[in-house]
Amino acid sequence: MSKTTRTTQTARKSPVWLEFLGSMNLAITLLVMLSIASVVGTVLQQNQAFQNYILKFGPFWHQVYNSLGLYDVYSAGWFMLVLLFLLISTGVCVTRHTPIFIKDMRQFSETLSLNALKHQPNHASFSSTDNLHTSQQRALTTLKHKGFRTRVHQREDGSVTIAGLKGHWNRLGYFFTHISIIVICIGALMDSNLYLKLNEWRGDLVPETRSVPLNQVDKRAWLSSDNFSYRGTVNITEGQNADVLFLPYDEGYLVQQLPFRIEVKEFRLHYYDNGMPKSYESDILLFADELAEPIAKTIEVNHPLYYKNYAIYQSSFGDGGSLLNLKVHPLMAPIANSSVIESAVNRTESLNTPAGKFRVEFSDFKLHNIVPNSDEEREKTGHKMHNNGPSILFKVRNEQGQAWEYENYMIANQQEGRWFFMSGVRNSMAEPFRYLFIPADANRSKTRFFEFLALVNNAPLAERIIRNAYPRPDGMEEKAYETHIVLFKQLITLFRQAGFDGISQFIQTNVPEQEQATVAEFYFSQLANAMQTLYLHILEQENAILDNEGNISAENQIWFEDALTSIASLHRYGPPMFFELETFKQIQSTGLQITKSPGKDVVYFGSALLIMGVFFMFYVRQRRVWIHLNTTGTGTDITVAAKDNKKLPETEAEFNQFVAKLKA
Amino acid sequence: MENTNTQAIWQKSKNGLWALIVLLGAFIGWQVYADNMDGYEIAILFGVALGTIWLGWFWKSFQTLAYFVATFSLLAIWIYQLNGNLYAANENAFFLKYLVSSQAAIMWMGVLVIFATFTYFFGLFKQSEFVYKTSTFLAWTAAMFGFIGMMVRWYESYLVNVDYGHIPVSSLYEVFILFIVMTILMYLYYEQKFKTRAMGGFVMLVMTASVLFVMWYIFDRQAHEIQPLIPALQSWWMKIHVPANFVGYGGFSIAAMVGVATLIRLSLEKRRPQSRLLNALPSVNLMDDIMYRAIAIGFAFFTIATVLGAMWAAEAWGGYWSWDPKETWALIVWLNYAAWLHVRMTKGWRGAPMAWWAFIGLFVTSFAFLGVNMFLSGLHSYGEL
Repeated sequence: MSKTTRTTQTARKSPVWLEFLGSMNLAITLLVMLSIASVVGTVLQQNQAFQNYILKFGPFWHQVYNSLGLYDVYSAGWFMLVLLFLLISTGVCVTRHTPIFIKDMRQFSETLSLNALKHQPNHASFSSTDNLHTSQQRALTTLKHKGFRTRVHQREDGSVTIAGLKGHWNRLGYFFTHISIIVICIGALMDSNLYLKLNEWRGDLVPETRSVPLNQVDKRAWLSSDNFSYRGTVNITEGQNADVLFLPYDEGYLVQQLPFRIEVKEFRLHYYDNGMPKSYESDILLFADELAEPIAKTIEVNHPLYYKNYAIYQSSFGDGGSLLNLKVHPLMAPIANSSVIESAVNRTESLNTPAGKFRVEFSDFKLHNIVPNSDEEREKTGHKMHNNGPSILFKVRNEQGQAWEYENYMIANQQEGRWFFMSGVRNSMAEPFRYLFIPADANRSKTRFFEFLALVNNAPLAERIIRNAYPRPDGMEEKAYETHIVLFKQLITLFRQAGFDGISQFIQTNVPEQEQATVAEFYFSQLANAMQTLYLHILEQENAILDNEGNISAENQIWFEDALTSIASLHRYGPPMFFELETFKQIQSTGLQITKSPGKDVVYFGSALLIMGVFFMFYVRQRRVWIHLNTTGTGTDITVAAKDNKKLPETEAEFNQFVAKLKA
Repeated sequence: MENTNTQAIWQKSKNGLWALIVLLGAFIGWQVYADNMDGYEIAILFGVALGTIWLGWFWKSFQTLAYFVATFSLLAIWIYQLNGNLYAANENAFFLKYLVSSQAAIMWMGVLVIFATFTYFFGLFKQSEFVYKTSTFLAWTAAMFGFIGMMVRWYESYLVNVDYGHIPVSSLYEVFILFIVMTILMYLYYEQKFKTRAMGGFVMLVMTASVLFVMWYIFDRQAHEIQPLIPALQSWWMKIHVPANFVGYGGFSIAAMVGVATLIRLSLEKRRPQSRLLNALPSVNLMDDIMYRAIAIGFAFFTIATVLGAMWAAEAWGGYWSWDPKETWALIVWLNYAAWLHVRMTKGWRGAPMAWWAFIGLFVTSFAFLGVNMFLSGLHSYGEL
């Protein structure tokens, strides 16, 4: 970052390597390198798990990128080296130019000869009738009025040169900007993980890669509380406290001991009326040995707690182990009886069922599920969003280790005007959830559905009901009737085990092609009859009122169709259990970020310098004026010259104005 | 002598009146809205008032613009207050619906920008003073409507829901309006100072592109709907960080388009020295100077904006620098213009290479402004497309 001004050419010749380090070309090259490296760092997602990179680039390029440090560009060795060279380059540039610029700021060049003055970019000569003294006074006043500092040089031949200098802060701009870069880099270095890297290299520090309780963490992954600078996070459950931080490091983490303890009393999440989060707040208490009373404060985003040289931020939130009361409904049982589980988020339960042994892992609870409305809903309600209410997320794993993940909603939600209980299921995290829609009955509950399902599962009872509903017509042979009943039973079983698709498939494999259409029509109508019969039985038990013609109401008819759709998809729902969230007690946890950043003030100081420097450099012009006065018999000969270190269109106009003022 | 004296007195009293009105406005604003402001925001209010007074003194035309903007904005607010409800007001009040509701004003801005682009180029080819003057008028009016649109939108955001209320510099849509207004005004300043309207069409091209984007953004994505602020943006820092950034973007855009004009002139000089267009375009030296000034002011404000951004980040995210894509691209833009300035100042480069560089700089800047939101995700993902 060197300035090639005319003055530098007269400076002493420096060694070649110093020339190189301080050269403009090197500086520009380094700036460009820094830019390119930064681009790479933004285009290539940084600090991801290695598996993602291998999937993306293949093993070969993954190796190449990894060894170049492209996954963590900003702390790669070569990136640091570029920064270091930029620092040196700037440093050399500043030290080399300091003496020259200081001289330039101070010197008035009042001894410049008349001839030299006439070679300045702007110059003018004229004569005045006033004597030398008056002219000199006028010149000095004019200069002072214009803000110039002046120096007067009395020459041996009797003539006088007044030299004026203005805006020498322009030169300060150069120092400020360049020194600020060095200051900012030093500040950033203070907050970098260089010290940790050194300790890791010496073998004193080994990041922990396992997810283990705090007391089992490798002792070499601990950092003492006198660590110079850090930035880490910790999750604290409501009512709990913590005095450590976790710093992500390489593929693992480090544990930072804090010199104080933070207790979280409560975490709150507020929403706007459109469902967007409005604020995250934690009520915290800070305990420290030196404090008689703990500090109590509510922190939120943009409003951290500052304590000494630490800052405590609201950074994230999650579930802290909400208590859950669940009902487990068997989906294959012939009677609707459910069992009860009491558990909590982050806990695992074992289930012993007739369908096998399962482990249930509860992973999350959400109090609100705010989703956008469809266009029709928006028109109807005027709201953009609606709340689907509480949901739980959990995994069910069988003895072979196969797992299904579920997302169950606690309350019914409206879909196309009907109410459903939604339950999402998927076999791997990579898939989206497939949803089961259990239709809610008139009481907005699942009772009728499970009663109906149990009846469908209960083959003997179902058979009895169907026989009652369809007694053998008089003209029909016993054998034909029995065959029909068997068909009913088989259709129900097939439907229950494989849904509508199962029946279609059965027809495709067992019926000659030309008869398939007729058979399918017959089978589906028979299935519908059978199911309808069972459904009527349920309605009778409920004392549901039929209309005058003995038909069921439209709502009940739609419920029936929805229930059939739902039962038809049960065979893809995984293990035959449905988990119903009955009650809960939400316990949240808050994610705090805590930093100790001694370099921050250094960086801010550098930034302030930088801003001042930039303005000095662009908006303060260093200007010089010389006024040469020589006595003649009748008055004074005056020569005015001026030099502006930044030649602007207005420079000449200003000069002419200045001369006019002197003449007046 | 007599005449100039009266003029000086007239000018002085105008300046005095300006200062008085601005201070009065700030004071009334403070009295009315003190409950909603914290200490920083009150400081910003009066800081902005002082800055505005200085700007009005420094650039007289700004006073006129501000009077118009204030009058129309207050009128709009008054009509809203008469009607009580935002939706009813927008339906019933003709003046509001078709002229000064924020959406109407922004539409007017868009139309005027496109007209101004055509007339500036028409004026350039015809070398017609009348057409040129019309273009300048159109550009001023466009800036005025954009400005009114922002002021009224600010008020409307509180009408939608008191909770939602915020200065309209938070979403990509809002900052685009800010960008258009800011750049037009900066351009108009240079136009006045250097007494040439030849570069208007070029600068307005970028504005037209922005207006077309905004139109797409409105009609395809309903981006104009007022949304509440996410927690990270609820801070007084936003009021200074964002506008400072857009002085930067504005300066860089002007420099790029002046660079294009320079390149056209240089190429004409070489290939078609007889071209009439050569007389119409200002000298390479003058354009070079404007380019430098635009980049210098842009760079200075971009530096401030980046530093303010770092300080805000330290308060909101817990670190003054996180190598977030937006931060990193701001650094890249900054490094790019730092290199441009170094080469110009110390190596004395001028003409074609610097013009090319300024033009390419526009793409780097656009990527930082838009591309990061479109292609990269990070902490700054507020205005995703």
